[in-house]
Amino acid sequence: MSDSAPLVALTGIAKRYGGVQACRDIDLTVRPGEVHALLGENGAGKSTLMRILSGDVTDFVGEIEVAGQPRRFAGPADAQGAGIAMIHQELDLVPALSIAENVFLGRELRRVGRLDRRGMQQRTAAVLERIGVRLNPARPVEQLRTGEQQLVVIAKALSLDARVLIMDEPTSALSSSEVDRLFDVTRELRRDGVGVVYISHRMDEIARIADRATVLRNGETVGTFDPRTMSTAQVVEAMIGRPVQSVFTTSDVERGDELLRVEDLAVRHRRPRPGRRDPDGISLTVRAGEIVGLAGLLGAGRTELLETLYGVGSAGPTSGQVLLGGDPITPRSARYALRNGIAFVPEDRRVAGLVLFHSVLANTVIASLGSIGRLGLVSARRERRAAQDSAARLGIKTAAISDPVDTLSGGNQQKVVLGRVLRTQPRVLLLDEPTRGVDVGAKAEIYELLGELAGQGLGVLLASSELPELIGVCDRVVVLRAGRSVADFDTAQAREADVLAAAMGEQLTGATS
Amino acid sequence: MTATLTPTPQREGARRRSPLAWLARFQSVLGLVVVFVGAIVFSPTPDGEIIFLSGENLTNIVRAVSEIGIIAVGMTLVILVGGIDLSVGSVLSLAAVGSAVLLVDNQLPLAAAMALVLLVGLVFGALQGAASTLLGIQAFIVTLAGLSIARGLARLWSGGQAVPIAYGSGPGEAPIAFSLLGERTFNGIVPIPALIFVAVAGGAIAFLRISAFSRHVYAIGGNEKAARLSGVPVTRVKITVFAVCGLLAALAGIVHAGQLNQGGPNDAIGYELDVIAAVVIGGTALSGGRGTVIGTVAGALLLGVLNNILGLNSVDENVQLVIKGLVIVAAAAVARFAPRT
Repeated sequence: MSDSAPLVALTGIAKRYGGVQACRDIDLTVRPGEVHALLGENGAGKSTLMRILSGDVTDFVGEIEVAGQPRRFAGPADAQGAGIAMIHQELDLVPALSIAENVFLGRELRRVGRLDRRGMQQRTAAVLERIGVRLNPARPVEQLRTGEQQLVVIAKALSLDARVLIMDEPTSALSSSEVDRLFDVTRELRRDGVGVVYISHRMDEIARIADRATVLRNGETVGTFDPRTMSTAQVVEAMIGRPVQSVFTTSDVERGDELLRVEDLAVRHRRPRPGRRDPDGISLTVRAGEIVGLAGLLGAGRTELLETLYGVGSAGPTSGQVLLGGDPITPRSARYALRNGIAFVPEDRRVAGLVLFHSVLANTVIASLGSIGRLGLVSARRERRAAQDSAARLGIKTAAISDPVDTLSGGNQQKVVLGRVLRTQPRVLLLDEPTRGVDVGAKAEIYELLGELAGQGLGVLLASSELPELIGVCDRVVVLRAGRSVADFDTAQAREADVLAAAMGEQLTGATS
Repeated sequence: MTATLTPTPQREGARRRSPLAWLARFQSVLGLVVVFVGAIVFSPTPDGEIIFLSGENLTNIVRAVSEIGIIAVGMTLVILVGGIDLSVGSVLSLAAVGSAVLLVDNQLPLAAAMALVLLVGLVFGALQGAASTLLGIQAFIVTLAGLSIARGLARLWSGGQAVPIAYGSGPGEAPIAFSLLGERTFNGIVPIPALIFVAVAGGAIAFLRISAFSRHVYAIGGNEKAARLSGVPVTRVKITVFAVCGLLAALAGIVHAGQLNQGGPNDAIGYELDVIAAVVIGGTALSGGRGTVIGTVAGALLLGVLNNILGLNSVDENVQLVIKGLVIVAAAAVARFAPRT
């Protein structure tokens, strides 16, 4: 069946965003009844390519053929009309509506002008049955577990008569039994002749489910492979396949005493939050003057670990322990953590880091007002001096420190967050993806700053999705997988491939662990 | 953990220097000036004298807005943290009733009665803040309930009737000092309530300028998550702000009782809307994190001048309501295009 004419053929696709060439000359075909895996590092062009195929991006170079006919989609609705549906990582469901209402959202069935609830529920039940799911179509989506919601999204796509289904990291928030479920459904679809494009980083999943795998790198096709005969090592080499950039300055500081020690930390969440992977057995140490990297795939639990250490993670009984300078601590709030010298740079500075419409000054001093004034009073002059001091030290480029932070570039915004955090005089610095959305120059400055801080005896724990960054900046890299720490590499010896393989669940030979 | 950054265009930075932006920055003060000039133009002038500008009329305006203005200072804080307090009119009434009953029926000394009434307002506000933050219920709903509860308490406490206040030293009479609230000082020009309003507003402006607390207030309203991660004691600050708003509503209630010489359980119905209008006209964003007490003072005075000039011209009361509504929309429209500073 896999030799039949392709459902979709993409030829010579190229797309440029400003100065960044996201895709150049990519070819991809999807045949009926195949699961076609799409692999590549962050920024390799996977997302852009899929946004083009699903009609989300319309100005690009190249050809799309659907069932042999050249097509140019005007938008996602147009692509859906042609039988191409995408399942996003963030599930686009309305929580308060029922399964049936979600499946028919925006194209509700009507009978004599009134909503045909029963009709919608019957048709939804039929689609759910087709993929072997037993759920009451009248149930509100918010009552479903994440895995079940994922299946509802698939049902919705199928009810559109999708012939091509794009799944973007569909398993990142699923438990292993839910993954099995999803794969059963996927095999079912394959039998029905649906073509599936499957984006994932997990080699074991790709080996289980995919018929072909195409690897992208820097916006180009590296090649298309048979995932069943290909080793993880080969795939990883194909994905990385480039010299590691040397913008990094690894600190060669004397490593001092142990600052932070995490022993078999686990949180049994009282009220599970969907899409979270709370610590489930993590051990690591950070010594003074040391930069320790935190690697792991999407959903491995890096953010949740940092949040737990900062006292803002999931509520619930904790096992294992956290030691700060040898003393056990129980971080239960950001205030507690800050008082004990733990500071945190959150993942998304626009959502959790900054008050965007407030000034650079206000954002810089908000965490350290106690040291700027006394008895709850603040001197505007000292406040200004403190903010100017931080801006100068970190090289924040802004016309005036009274400018709102959202007039600054991403890199300068991140420096404002760093400046605020450093004003609290931390001993341990936790950073979550600090260079995301930051230009190359500011990245290098941030790396340099981290090295400097380590030189002053801080312990740094840096979570990142960028392997070159982890290998280049950190002294050691701890790898998380499914909420557990699974490997600890010395970056003097480790290669990117070793780290990636450990994160994906396959230990390569020669790795120190 | 995909990048969910949606870079917004940076036009706000560019707009900052436009004349419109400059205008918007002082919108409430400018609005006040415009309305003031308009009032001079439209003032009735029997015997060639502009009645609007007479000293007595101007001080009357300040006296008339003093109750709304005092509460609006507290409401500004609540709205700055992203909240709202709908209970203030009822709390005012409760405090007015409380003042009358404690002074007249219970014969409490003036200071004790005032302290008790203020404490009632403070605790009522704090409880609302606690219910909102600790139970995770929206402030709108909690204070809507508070509006009902405080009104009910006021009627229960007064027996459903306005409690008249007579002055003297005999039984059933309140200390004469309380009647000062209806008086004027400085050669009988400046009403005492206006002085209290000015003191409250001035105190709040100064406090906001120099306190760490105010930085916390703005940060919470601007981005609560970022504030929490920065170690701001979000829950404590929010409860405090609601407590202060309740306290100021009670203070306004005392002023109210003193001016009218009675505690009316059915007074100040709908005041919360005038208070919120003053805050919004003053340029404070209902979404929080943005606004000033100075703006609120200007907003309250603007409403007062408007009411005054319409009254001087004997404009129909219902027409007055329509005009007031249009002014609120106009102020909000200007704020909509204001720079986000």
